Amino acid sequence: MCLHENNKLDMITKYIKSIVLIVILVFASCKNKEHQYHNLIEKIEAKSANYSGTNISSEVYNETVKKIKISEGNKEFYITERKSQITSYNCSECHNQPIKLLKDKHVGKKAHWDIVLNHANEETMNCNTCHAKDNMNELRSITNKTIDLNLSHKLCSQCHQKEGKDWVGGAHGKQIGGWAPPRLSQTCTGCHNPHSPSFEKRWPAQFNIQKVKERQ
Amino acid sequence: MSSNNKKWFSLNLTNKSNKSESRGCGKEFDSCSNNKHKDGYDQIMDVPMDRRSAFKKITTGLLMGAGAVSTSCSVVSGDDSKEKSSIEWEEYFKGNYKLMTDEERNNTVDRLVRSYELRKGEKLNISSKDAEDDVLFGYAFNISKCQGYMDCITACVEENNQDRSSQMQYIRIHEMDDGKGFNFEESNDNYYHEVPAEGHFYMGTQCFHCENPPCVEVCPVQATWKEKDGIVVIDYDWCIGCRYCMAACPYDGRRFNWKTPEVPEEEVNKNQHYLGNRLRKKGVMEKCTFCIQRSRIGKNPACAEACPTGSRTFGNLLDPNSNIRWILENKKVFRLKEDLGTEPKFWYYMD
Repeated sequence: MCLHENNKLDMITKYIKSIVLIVILVFASCKNKEHQYHNLIEKIEAKSANYSGTNISSEVYNETVKKIKISEGNKEFYITERKSQITSYNCSECHNQPIKLLKDKHVGKKAHWDIVLNHANEETMNCNTCHAKDNMNELRSITNKTIDLNLSHKLCSQCHQKEGKDWVGGAHGKQIGGWAPPRLSQTCTGCHNPHSPSFEKRWPAQFNIQKVKERQ
Repeated sequence: MSSNNKKWFSLNLTNKSNKSESRGCGKEFDSCSNNKHKDGYDQIMDVPMDRRSAFKKITTGLLMGAGAVSTSCSVVSGDDSKEKSSIEWEEYFKGNYKLMTDEERNNTVDRLVRSYELRKGEKLNISSKDAEDDVLFGYAFNISKCQGYMDCITACVEENNQDRSSQMQYIRIHEMDDGKGFNFEESNDNYYHEVPAEGHFYMGTQCFHCENPPCVEVCPVQATWKEKDGIVVIDYDWCIGCRYCMAACPYDGRRFNWKTPEVPEEEVNKNQHYLGNRLRKKGVMEKCTFCIQRSRIGKNPACAEACPTGSRTFGNLLDPNSNIRWILENKKVFRLKEDLGTEPKFWYYMD
């Protein structure tokens, strides 16, 4: 009789102990401690809540580049300056006559005589789409507003809205200098020739002969 | 158990095998040891040898050790070789980089610079810069923009002093068939024709610097670890070359030096970091370090800098105004092998 009761008590205490142990384990394994996050996104959001900048800056790498500051939407960043890089700026020094006269045989082959427009098609694009007849020093928007040559991205993003938004955000285009602020982005024309913007096909820079040997 | 030659404990659930083995051995103990398979230690130490040859071998070993010690203490050898051997001695006995104090780190960097100067006569610039606060590096790759040029690979090899003869490359650019998605089995990572080829697209892989890296968990000596700014690094002087991390990495991010890496002198990148692109030795692992010698001073890694199409973006994940954060918040991003829970810090997106 006594034995049977003792066994029951033993079993009950065993069950209680195991339940208590499980409860303790469950709570101990919960990562409520600092620096423990369920995933990376949680960690990023938690750690960047009080972000106040770092000591690292890309300024020293951007010093030699001619740049201007622009602000698009809520982003403010530097872009490379264009006008000073154009060898034959001001355009009006030559373009003070109609083009037909400039193309005259007696005038000869001046400056950029060999420009070929390879951008969209004839129905969409000709010289007047971007350039203003009366003032060749500037660009003209679709609504006939003036666009400065340094801010050519405003012109390109009229048709390329998505790329323009991506560029402002940082998903499109090249960052010069470094990852640390202040941000310096390459402009549209820095990578794309506006008259023939697509990238040409080419051969890769590398061929790994050792890999070929090892895989034989 | 004693008659068995197994080195591990086993439950004797079946009696048969035990009896047959003991019967096979019989009463003579020697025939048992003849069947025993010798392990590496026994193969060297348990060799039957006569006294004379044993004596010869022991004395040669002792002389070699004495010679090594004497070059640093000798009166006759020149100052240069004394310095070289004292540097080698110190470097041999230094500890794990993680446990070093700042002073010890500076000392080891100075020793490495001095050792290179003694050997080659050139001055290096090895940094031991620690991770900056509030920085967590992330990387984004635009698969619409990659055209398969492999300029990133060329830049990486030049920047990180990788072995030229085995053509070690941290980055792999894969040429994949359109319409089949990310099919690595049918992709080609060593092509040589005009790119971009019709009907294919291109994307690149490298070490993804996981937030939960499997390679760090399996290293038996803790020679690899994740730094505060998220970069997974290797202490080349602590690595024993077991390559367990190479087996653990699901993304083929790690490379092993099967031979002493050799870089032509004029191509050596003299701006180095202790955990980054300093010259490694035979038998250690290496991998992409997000160009730690560049990223810790604010520059982009060599691959991001070199890409002509701008498909690689690098930045600080903790900066809400950075490009990488904008990409993660506004573009359709994904990572590879998400189900493994490694949390890589390398995202792919498309236009």
